[in-house]
Amino acid sequence: MAIPVEEAIAALSTFSLEDEQPDMQGLSAVLSIERCATSSPTEYADVSAYRLSLTEDTKAINQLNTLIKDGKEMLSVLYTYRSCVKALPQLPDSMKHNQADLYLETYQVLDLEMSRLREIQRWQASAASKLAADMQRFSRPERLINGPTITHFWSILKLLDVLVQLDHLKNAKASIPNDFSWYKRTFTQVSIQWQDTDTMREELDDLQIFLSTRWAILLNLHAEMFRANTVEDILQVLIVFCVESLELDFALLFPERHMLLRVLPVLVVLATSSEKDAESLYRRVKVNRLTSIFKNDPVIPAFPDLHLSPVAILKELSMYFPSFSSQTRFLTLPAPHEILHRELQEYKRHYLVVNCIGTIRAEHDDFSIRFASAVNQVINLKSTEASNPDWCREVKGNMYDMVIEGFQLLSRWTGRVWEQCAWKFSRPCKDPVTSDSIRGSTTFFDYEKVVRWNYTSDERKALLELVSYIKSVGSMMQRCDTLVADALWETIHVEVQDFVQDKLDTMLRTTFRKKKDLSRILSDMRTLSADWMANTNKHDAELHVSHQEGEMSRPNIFYPRPVALTAAQVHCLQFLICELVSGGNLRKHGGLFGNSGSGIAVDDLKRLETFFYKLSFFLHILDYTATISALMDLGFLWFREFYLESSRVIQFPIECSLPWMLVDNVIESQDPSLLQSILMPFDIYNDAAQYALTILKQRFLYDEIEAEVDLCFDQLLYRLTEIIFSYYKSRAASDLLDQTFLASCNDEDKYFVKPILFNEILKLTRVKLLGRTIDLRSLLTQRLNKIIRDNIDFLFERYESQGLCAIVELQQLLDVLKHTHNLLSKDLELDSFNLMLNEMQENLSLISYSSRLASQIWTEMQNDFFPNFILCNTTQRFIRSIKGARQAPQRAPVSNVKSYFFCGSQDLNAAYHNLAGMYSEFFGIPHMFAVVQLIGLRSLPWIIRAILDHIAIKVNEIVPKIYGLQDALPKSIGLLPFDGGVAGSQKIIHELLTWGTKSELKAEVLQSLKEVGSALYWTSLLDIVLRETDTMQFIQTAPWLGLTIGSDGQLREVDSGDSPLVSLFKSAKAAIVSNETCQNPNSFHVMSKQAEAADIIYKKNINSASVLEYALAFTSAALDKHYSKLSANPKTGFIDITTSKDFYRIFSGLQFEYLEEIVLDSTSKKLDSLGDSVAWAGCTIIYLLGQQLHFELFDFSYQFLNIAEVENAAMAQTQSFDRAKSANHSQGYESLLEAMKKARRLNNHVFSMLRARCPLEEKIACAIKQSGAPQPRITFVNTLSAFETLPQKDP
Amino acid sequence: MARAGGITNAVNVGIAVQADWEDREFISSLNVRRLFEFLLQFEATTKSKLACLNEKLDVLERRLEVLEVQISTATSNPSVFT
Repeated sequence: MAIPVEEAIAALSTFSLEDEQPDMQGLSAVLSIERCATSSPTEYADVSAYRLSLTEDTKAINQLNTLIKDGKEMLSVLYTYRSCVKALPQLPDSMKHNQADLYLETYQVLDLEMSRLREIQRWQASAASKLAADMQRFSRPERLINGPTITHFWSILKLLDVLVQLDHLKNAKASIPNDFSWYKRTFTQVSIQWQDTDTMREELDDLQIFLSTRWAILLNLHAEMFRANTVEDILQVLIVFCVESLELDFALLFPERHMLLRVLPVLVVLATSSEKDAESLYRRVKVNRLTSIFKNDPVIPAFPDLHLSPVAILKELSMYFPSFSSQTRFLTLPAPHEILHRELQEYKRHYLVVNCIGTIRAEHDDFSIRFASAVNQVINLKSTEASNPDWCREVKGNMYDMVIEGFQLLSRWTGRVWEQCAWKFSRPCKDPVTSDSIRGSTTFFDYEKVVRWNYTSDERKALLELVSYIKSVGSMMQRCDTLVADALWETIHVEVQDFVQDKLDTMLRTTFRKKKDLSRILSDMRTLSADWMANTNKHDAELHVSHQEGEMSRPNIFYPRPVALTAAQVHCLQFLICELVSGGNLRKHGGLFGNSGSGIAVDDLKRLETFFYKLSFFLHILDYTATISALMDLGFLWFREFYLESSRVIQFPIECSLPWMLVDNVIESQDPSLLQSILMPFDIYNDAAQYALTILKQRFLYDEIEAEVDLCFDQLLYRLTEIIFSYYKSRAASDLLDQTFLASCNDEDKYFVKPILFNEILKLTRVKLLGRTIDLRSLLTQRLNKIIRDNIDFLFERYESQGLCAIVELQQLLDVLKHTHNLLSKDLELDSFNLMLNEMQENLSLISYSSRLASQIWTEMQNDFFPNFILCNTTQRFIRSIKGARQAPQRAPVSNVKSYFFCGSQDLNAAYHNLAGMYSEFFGIPHMFAVVQLIGLRSLPWIIRAILDHIAIKVNEIVPKIYGLQDALPKSIGLLPFDGGVAGSQKIIHELLTWGTKSELKAEVLQSLKEVGSALYWTSLLDIVLRETDTMQFIQTAPWLGLTIGSDGQLREVDSGDSPLVSLFKSAKAAIVSNETCQNPNSFHVMSKQAEAADIIYKKNINSASVLEYALAFTSAALDKHYSKLSANPKTGFIDITTSKDFYRIFSGLQFEYLEEIVLDSTSKKLDSLGDSVAWAGCTIIYLLGQQLHFELFDFSYQFLNIAEVENAAMAQTQSFDRAKSANHSQGYESLLEAMKKARRLNNHVFSMLRARCPLEEKIACAIKQSGAPQPRITFVNTLSAFETLPQKDP
Repeated sequence: MARAGGITNAVNVGIAVQADWEDREFISSLNVRRLFEFLLQFEATTKSKLACLNEKLDVLERRLEVLEVQISTATSNPSVFT
């Protein structure tokens, strides 16, 4: 069974169509037919049905309308005409013989263009003669035919306007005479071979006269009109009509108003062709009324970039129309460039949008609220079934009023934009150089002077605001088109029926009772528009009956039909009202509704007048969509054909383009209130493209617009991404700053980021641009993804150029970036940050554990850190040796620095830079935290392995050098004798250390020891940090794994069963699987299994080994193969205390000399170049070789210290004898002794650490076996398995 | 002077006008506007839904790409896993 249409349509509303995109653009699609009610879709063919004998009039109207249509096309041809001569090629000298061919080609090209101009010439001639004939026919005093009607007036005025514009344009376009003269020259060249060119020549001359005469079209029209001297009357009537309409300014939308303003001066000139005519005109219209109109609007827009000044036209025409030149009252008015300063300010206040944007804003806010509430009421009304007819009518009437108000607002606003443009065009900027900083160029296009430099920043802002208001109010009205259409039509129906059924009824019974003629007109009005049967549809029998019985007795109650009047009905009604009030007499003095002679009561006249003007507005409302789109059309802001021609360029750069200037203004100012309107200027492009295609009908203009839009949109996207990114970046940076620090800051405000709402822009998935739909959101996502990647890359690059210590800064900046990503992810679907980070770290491979950062860190350590950094044991920091880089690494400077790659804003950048500066000079615990966090567990093992290998390599390097030093020592070294005192023992030590010639070898050994020590200390720092992170992780995971810490401080599992994590998932699985409705229990099985796996993995992680212990074990293993060389085998089985081959002897000697050097040469930087790491390496090796006790007993420095102590004690005893002598005695050794004490403290510290982390009891216990050979191998239970699986590098 | 108001056959014209009102009411009840508006809204909604879907697919696609790269590093070096 077929579903009734109505039901089907009603069913549509059951769809839920929610659209999440916010409104940040104007209309995207408009359904509108070519012809709308204002210009009757049926060409008034239905007028004859009303039998008002208007056939002649209708025919005339249609003829005029056709002319207007043609004329408009001529206008667009002329407006978009671009000079061909500029494009003509010049022949090089070598091809001069082909000149004739070129002429012919040129002629053919130009001929086509000239034929168009010829067509314009012909058209204007015929239009002028037809217009003149029409005016003459309808102004015959004897009135043989009905008319002219109001519609007819409008048509005449519109045609006149077209002719005026055409003339104005022809005067303005300089390229046309240019092209023509070129054409004529080629014609002379080409036509030599032709025969019979006389007629063509004549035609050419005609055209030349037409093109080169200013105001040729008006002159011709004037001649046509006054061939028979009968048109003054109708001219006067037209002037009266214009003036009244302009003064009343009720039913006029801005296109009509501008049109009347353009036509009026010409009408005045035509109507005052003689003194007598002038006088009779002034009798009907006071001169003051005319002059005040001219004065109010000194400039009127004519074309997008071409304005027109009534006064200037009057002045210029006075030269061509001698009779007009006596009308001094018009000619003394100031032309736009003659306006005095004081008046200028007045006009500026009127013309410039910026001066009244406050009022406009208030109007907009007020209107939007009231309109929305009216719409809500209509929705409300529709949802309630049975409603009170009065309330119903009130709601709809309110809606109708709101729509009228909306139209008037839109018309006023858009009119303002037009007028501001015209004003700006009429007053170019005088001195662009001062208005802004300009790079180099000193020449400006005229267009730049009138547009680019002619709008201040405030003016641009105001213009953009106004454009947004126009677009948003327009789309708001358009969107509820369907909803309000019925209400509007019903209200119009009510208004008309109320007037014709009620008001006219009353009038018929009172005022017009005695006047047969007039009452006939009234009843005609009723006949052609009354809808008597409207009430019968409602099945209201009673009403029906009462209506039948007597319509005289009671006021008619009718039910509104949602059907509006036709254009023909409006046309006829207006005609009849005119007839009624004027009595059919055009020559009647005064205005249309001036009360004179018709004998109609003032009240009735008033009613008729109101209804008359309402009628003309009805048409705009019937054309709801078309009216709105006409009123919203701002495409004219782009067009610049006139200036293009005068500037002799193909196209202006986008900086000169007003729409882009508006966008640019938003971008530059970053005004949060304007950002929401950033897409509005693109509507201007949409409008412009529409205008180029449908009105100007020029493909090339569309192409140019398209090219510009492409460019602008790319630019916008680029800049918008930057703005969004830097905003979020600065927000993230400001979030991450220490709040307590900020609170105590004096100027904390500068670290506070003002909120900007971007989320609306980020929601735009459908931006309409020249018929294309663009997903702005996805484009932004794409670009932000890229910019974040670029940023990561930049940070790494920057780090690579800075060295190891910058790792803290890198971490800070990456944290800021991550937080930025976090904030952005709330609004956009970005790639996950870790994924991007891994990608930029080149860390995606499953089989490689290095990464960009890890290998960079390692390279830095190898090339810079180990050789150039020295350890300070007390502060736990490495600092760069002052001696300078041994092998200064080459670093590429980072280019292309953008502030949003750091923290977004200058202040925050500075803050973070200072913060990072505190860490930039050393390497310590914070740096190690950063390393651990940045390279993570994945690459840490890789780097540890690299360090261990480094240690092994260094150890292998040291050993042969130590052999060299061993060789230089005497075979046996005994204890130092006490009797020589401090000085004596020093002498003895010097005698023992006979390696003086091998200072280079010594230095190399020290350096290598330093590097080994640094590496060991580095792992100890790493160990500290890893402990902390592991503990943190443990605290977080322990409750899930069911682990607690018992009273003895040991870990205990809570119970023997599953851990909480596993049991949770198991029970969840059980619950879900037991539920029969479960679709896919499999995934829950998997989940439960995964929980078990996680449980095992995390439990294993708890007993992680110590990196330091592991490193020590590794070093020990590396030393093992050199054991026999570094530790003399006691042949007797007893410890040989005089051996000089043991490592500790070498180190002892090195240490002694090293300390001496420091003391002797306290100014040198020796100390700096080695630091505490030598002691770390030396002690570690001694300890691992099992020589700690030997060292502590036989070390030169220690012995030296002992001797000094004994000497001091002895000195104390002899103190009483000779005070002065004792003071002198130890002098010179104090600092050496101090340094030795320091070294002993450091060594003791290292040894105690080693004893704690790497106990050697086992080794000592078996140090001497029965065979006499020591047990070299040390075993560590906790790292055994890991150690054995590790492949060792060959030494 | 030819006065206006020359409706020659007022009764017939009146009847025709009345019929015209009713015909036009019938035409307006066809609701082309509503159909058009529905289509517009439908388009808008569908487009946002598609955009939303597209976005999700994009993210998945990129993630997949990464996974593919990861796998390819493994499969191109099978010796590591033997």
